This record gives sequence, structure tokens and C-alpha cells, in this order.
Amino acid sequence: METSATEPAPPPNRALRFPLVAAAAIALLAIVETTVALVAPSLAPTDADWVAAAAAVRAGFRPGDLIVAAPGWADPILRLHLGDLIPPEMAARMDDDRFARVWEVGQRGARAAAAKGATVARDERFGHLRVRLLERAAETVTYDFATHRADARVTWHDARGTSVACAPAGERVSCPGAGSILFHPQIVEVDQKLREALLTEPLRNGMVAIEFPAVPLGRALVIATGLHDTWMRKAARGTVAARVTVGAETTVLPVTTDDSGWTRTRIDTSARAGQVAPVRLELDSANPYDRFFAFAAEARR
Amino acid sequence: MRRWPLTPRRLDWLVTAALALGTVIWLLSVEGRQGIGRDEAQYFRAGERYWGWFAELGDNLEHGHPGRSFTAADIDRYWSDNAPDHPVVMKVLYGISWRAFHTCRCMGPTRAYHPLPIRARHTTLPLFARDSTAFRFPAILFAAWLVGMVYRFARAWLPRGPSAVAAVLALAQPHFFFHAQIACFDAPIATMAFAVGFAYWKSLRDPRWGIATGLLFGVSLGVKHNAWLVPFFLVAHYLWMRRGDFRARRFPRVPLAFVAMLALGPPMFLAHWPWLWVSPVARTRAYVLRHLDHEHYNFEYLGHNFNQPPTTTAMTWLRATAPFVETGLTVPVTTLALAAVGATVLGRRRRGAPVDPESAASEAAIADRADRPSWLRPGADVDRAPGAFVLFQTLGPLSVLAVPSTPIFGGVKHFLAAMPYLALLAGIGVATLGRALRAAIPAARARLRRAAPIGLAVLVCLPALVETRRSHPDGLGHYNLLAGGFAGGASLGMNRQFWGYSVLPMLPDLDRRAPENRRLFWHDVLSDAISMYKRDGRLSLEVGDTGFGEEGIKRSELGILFYEKHWAKYEAWFWEAYGTTKPVGVRAREGVPMVTLYQRGVR
Repeated sequence: METSATEPAPPPNRALRFPLVAAAAIALLAIVETTVALVAPSLAPTDADWVAAAAAVRAGFRPGDLIVAAPGWADPILRLHLGDLIPPEMAARMDDDRFARVWEVGQRGARAAAAKGATVARDERFGHLRVRLLERAAETVTYDFATHRADARVTWHDARGTSVACAPAGERVSCPGAGSILFHPQIVEVDQKLREALLTEPLRNGMVAIEFPAVPLGRALVIATGLHDTWMRKAARGTVAARVTVGAETTVLPVTTDDSGWTRTRIDTSARAGQVAPVRLELDSANPYDRFFAFAAEARR
Repeated sequence: MRRWPLTPRRLDWLVTAALALGTVIWLLSVEGRQGIGRDEAQYFRAGERYWGWFAELGDNLEHGHPGRSFTAADIDRYWSDNAPDHPVVMKVLYGISWRAFHTCRCMGPTRAYHPLPIRARHTTLPLFARDSTAFRFPAILFAAWLVGMVYRFARAWLPRGPSAVAAVLALAQPHFFFHAQIACFDAPIATMAFAVGFAYWKSLRDPRWGIATGLLFGVSLGVKHNAWLVPFFLVAHYLWMRRGDFRARRFPRVPLAFVAMLALGPPMFLAHWPWLWVSPVARTRAYVLRHLDHEHYNFEYLGHNFNQPPTTTAMTWLRATAPFVETGLTVPVTTLALAAVGATVLGRRRRGAPVDPESAASEAAIADRADRPSWLRPGADVDRAPGAFVLFQTLGPLSVLAVPSTPIFGGVKHFLAAMPYLALLAGIGVATLGRALRAAIPAARARLRRAAPIGLAVLVCLPALVETRRSHPDGLGHYNLLAGGFAGGASLGMNRQFWGYSVLPMLPDLDRRAPENRRLFWHDVLSDAISMYKRDGRLSLEVGDTGFGEEGIKRSELGILFYEKHWAKYEAWFWEAYGTTKPVGVRAREGVPMVTLYQRGVR
């Protein structure tokens, strides 16, 4: 930027206006960007903030409460401080609907999805963390399918109407003449999130039916489905069709694909609330290779 | 005493040297805080193996039978490491640098951690305390070379100050800075692509640079496969520059630079890589196919995990935005704004006019010379179209990565070659704004007129320097002001890290946790990286490695987990094997988790 001191300055003109405005704007931007870069690290919650927030949650925690981080990516730090109150079944829950009390440990103004529609019973700040106790209407689970895996009867049916009963074999069930498939509870990964679910597989040339013979129904049956495991979703593209039959009523579930994520379907069973009925899940797939079908289901009051 | 006048030319060389030296000092002063990724660990290993071949060749020469080093078996013993993945220019340099500059403790307890048997203590010039630094040194020199070149290139268009700003902004980008200090190829290929582009630009009016272009292209082919794309971007510019030929219904002359690239590039590529010599056709084919069919590793972008080409229209469009959005969210915003001004200036520039009115080199002045156009000086009779040149070199690498079938697993590293040109645009922006500032200040205030542009130049470098410093050693997880830093990037669902490098700050903690660390699950840290940490003296030799996958976790007492979307199921394995969701440690940056540490039995 060499210049001569004797060079006369041209009078400001319109052609100069834009570069000057741009120079001012960029100088301001540079100052803001530098300041933010210097200040931002100090805006993150400190260990002391987490310790204080965790102590507050611990003091008011009741069994059955849900504890969540907002934003969700802070969850590992939340578990570092409160992991003893977050068992795997809570961390890998199907959804939030059965929790009446939710402890939200938030930062940077983020809100947890579980806070939607809830009333705030407590709201405290601990440095850069905010702890809110949220109270909400919750559903009571009358039957969790994953914990009743042993009650299930698995059968395989081909297109000609042949039906084969599958026998339990450890984590699998063996369907004579058709093969063996996984059928066991597991923390699965669907859409890169962990869920406690029952893991099974469709079989080629036929339909797999999983029947829970005596389900005490509530007002709704909620079922969530998805394909387990990033690498399996990468390895294959087959889809899985599924249907749920409650008593005599059949509901077709959305087709499960690599991209469908964790899809929840709510089936209204209020007309049969209080009754005990069989619930049957049927699966089939034209390309069952590497299709690890995960589902979690609950009857809810 | 004889006087040594500081001519403008000498001053420029002095500034170039100062910028390059500053780069080396900065990178060397911080590289020790940056961990070793899976790729770098392999290149350390391969570099040391390749050096082994040279050492054996020396022995064979001494004993009068050099031919033994050229048998297929002998070549493969050394050179099949990391083949057909990558050619060997950088790995050879890493190996040589290690051999020359490490502080040899090779006969001590870490002797077994070398990929080749150590028979005697090495005589070295022990510049570096850590082996890993000695390996990384050539990459750092390449980064310094790039910074120097950006200044030199910019000087052809701009005054000294904005040229220096361009050079500083080429380095002060968190993601480039991350790659500039490690013994990989992404920053070096950005250097080589720029060197080829620079030589090509000069070759348009100077035939000596035509040959140099070919030689530099040959070297760049030996650095990384991105080099094969460089000619496309140059040809695009050349055809645009010579578009008058098409109007005159004649095909432009094929310039010397392209002839040299064709004549020298492929032979140099074949000659430099001994692994190819054994079966040139089959192995070259294997190399080409390796990259044409490259696996799509997992990569998080805007909340989605991409590990294969998208199959839906919406995802295809989203995927196509990746290089542009990643650039927009990772390069310091002030740099981007300056680059936008620079691009506007180039876009509005009249044919034949200099890029900067104060530039010594006017396109018109040179084009008016009586040089007759020829294939030796194909830019002598035309405006060289600097705007189109920078446009193609910037957008070219980004556009390749915008093709949805192209893997994006490396994020910004795949199109780092665009970044020096972006910095060049920023330099043009600074020059323009500085000139406007000066023009707006009355001549009577001479001191202020001089100071204002300098102040602006310093001011616009600040955010880039501060952001880059802030990002270290987690440059991959850092996002700019628009994104909201580390936390903003995480909220947007952008990639935080890859290949296990970010464990380094946890090593002291892992080392303390004996005896549990005898059975340690290292997740995505390659055994070669663990070996290097031990060779560097940063990890006790007793620390174990239980292997990969679910079985590795089951065998372990202590384990780490890197946060990337696709690793989620590993966390489930920890919960199941250890019976708890509660980690004993989380390594975070500005509150954003990077690595979690689990210990069996701690609830």
C-alpha cells in the first residue's frame, strides 16, 4: 500500500462510497469475529457448573424421572455427572411420552424435545447451565413388548400358505426349512441413535409373524420401527413391510427403509382398553439381506 | 563494509522468507498438541519402511550388488506398504526427515515399536525430540512453501501489504491449519496444486515456466491423486483465455505447459514409485481403480451421516451443497467477506486492466508488447483472464466434491487446493478496500493515509489468526462465526473429527489409570498411532490394546469412544459390557464432547 504524501486525495465520490462502506463493514465484522472468538470459549459450561447442576437434579430426582441434555450433543457430559440416574433403558428409550417429570439440563438457550407442552415446575441457573424441571401428562405403560420377548410365538409363512413354527435358540429363533433369524432384546442403533428394542430379521420367500398372545391393552399401542446398524444400512437397500394386527384389526406400518429412521406409529386401542388381546407383527421383505429390523412397542394407558 | 541495498526485489524475497519462516515456527510450536489420525499413523509406518529400502540400497551398493534392491520381492517388501492407496513422494520425504532429524532412542525399550528391525543406533541431526515431529517436518515445510508462493503470486497483482495478507490468510484457516502440520497429503497437494497453477500462469508468457509446470505436475502426481484433476482446471482457464481463437474459428495452440505436463507428468509418476515398477500396467490400474471405486467412509454433514451416494433427490441436492456450505462454515467469515470483495473486483475488471491499479504488472502493458503468440508464450497476445483463472482454481476442486457420487469423508481436506486462491481473492479485497480508505482521507493527513490501509490489513488478519489459534488442536471440529464455533457446528450436525486423532490430550489420564489401562479399548486409534505415542514417550509401554469392535470392548477394562454419528452402536456395546451409561471422563471442546472414557465397574 505504498503512497506518496504529496498525492492529492480525490474528493469522495459515488464510486468510492461502496468500497468505503464495505471497508467499514468488514472492519466491524473483523472486530466482532475476533471478539466472539476470544469470548466464546468462556461461555461454555464449566465443570463447576455441571457439578452444581447435577447436585440440584440429584436433590429433586424421583425414580421414574427422565433426565435429558439440551442440546442433545451434551448428553455424554450429562451422563458423566448423572449417569448413575440414567440407566440404559432410559438413555435408549423408545420415546419420551411415558415420563411425567423431565429434568432438562440446558445450555445456550437450547430446549429438549421432551419440554414441548410441559409446564415448568422449577427453573434454576448454574453458571452457563440452566436446570428446568418439566411436568407433563404422561402415559402409563401396561405392556412392554421387549420385556415379554419370551411370551412371543414366531412363525414363518410362505406364499402357498405353509406355516412353520420357529423354535427359540438363544438369541435367535429357528424356523425349520426356512432358516434362523435373530429375535432378542438389544440396544440397537437406528438413525445413529440408540434405542432399546427387539431385533429380528425378515426371511426370504415368506413372511415372519411374531405374536404376543395376551397383551393387556390400554388406550393406544405405540410401535416404533427402524433398521439397525449404520454398516448394515450401508450394505443393503432392501425395504421391510410390516403390519400390526390387534385382535382382528390390522394396521399397515410405514415401509421401513435405510432412510426412514425411527418411525413411530400410534394405534388407537381405546375401544378395547382394559381387554387382553393377541398382538401380531408381520414382516416381509423382497430383499431381506442384512435387514436387521428393530422394533419397540408398548401398550399404553 | 559493503552495502547491501534493499531493492524492492530483495525486500520481496525477505518478506517471502519471513512468511515462510513464520509458518514453520508457528506450526512446529503447536504440532505436538495435535494427535495422530489413522491415515497419518500409516504414513509414518510407510515412510519408515520406504526409508528402509533406501538404507538397504546403500548397503547393497556398498557390497557391490545394487541389483538386489530392485528385485520384485525386495521392492514389495518395502514398497507394498500403503499401496496402491497413495504414491510416495511425501511418504519418502517423511521417512527421510525422520531418519535425518529424530533423536535416536532406537536401541531403548521402544525398539520393538518400529516397523522395521533396528540394528544399531542411528546417527542423526537430532532437531526434534519426538519421532512424530521429525516425520511431520516436510509437511510443515510444504505449508511454508505454499504461504511463500501465495505471497509471490499475489505480488504480481497486488502491493506488498495485501499480498502479505493473502499469504497469512492462506495459513490462518482452522481446517487448513489442522492439515498443514500433519504428515499426510492434503495440505501438501494443496501446495503442489498451487505450485502447478503458479507455474502455468507464468508459463503463459515465459516458456521456461512451461517446462517447470510439467516438472511440478510430475511431482504433484507423486503427492496425491487430486493432482490428476489440476489439468482440467487449467485447461478450462486456457480455453476461456483463448476464446478469441474460437471466435476466429481456429483451435487454440496447445501450450508448452500442457505438453510438458503430458510428457513429464505420467513418466515421473511411474518413475517415482518403485511399487509400480514390478508390474506397471496392472498396478497402475489397481491404483486408478482404488480411487475411482473409493469407499464412502462415514461423514456427518448437516445432521446426516453420509456413507454412500445419496439415493433420493432431496439428499442428492443436500449432498451437492457440502463443499460450498463447508467452506462457508469453516473459513473465517472476514476472509470470506474479503474474498467476496476480491471476486467482485476481478469480475468487474476490464480486459487488459491490471488486477490492482497500483500493481506494477498490467495485463495490457504486457500484452501490448510485440511478442508474437506461440505455443511457447500462449498468453503473450491476450489478456490472461486472471478472474477466470482464480475462479476455475477455486471452484474446480469444490465442484468435483459437489458431485454426489464423490465420497466426502474428509470434509474440507478434499478441496483444500481451493483455499490458497480464496486467500488470494481476500488479498485483492484488502487491496481494494485499503485503496478506497486511502483515497477517502485528505492528502493533508498523510500519516493517517499511510496508516489506515495498514491498520485494515492487520485488522482483517486478526479474526483468522485468533480463530485458528482457538481451533487448535481440534481444527476439524471448529466452525466459524456463522456456524457458532464448536457448539454451533455440533448443533448443525457437522462433523467434529475423524480417524481418532483427538485422543492425544487424554493420554496423560489414560496413562495414569493403571492397571486398567493394560486392557484398553482404543476405538478408532490405529495400533500404529499407539506405537508412535509410545515412541514419542507420551504413553507407557505397558498400556495395552484390546483390539477392534465389540469383542475389543468385551475384553477391555477401560475404553474410549470418539463421537461421530456412525459410532453410536459402540456406545451401546460399552453400556452392555460395562453395565453403565456413566463415563468416567469426557474430553470436550467448549462444552462439545469429542471423546468419552469408560471404565468397567465404575457406576
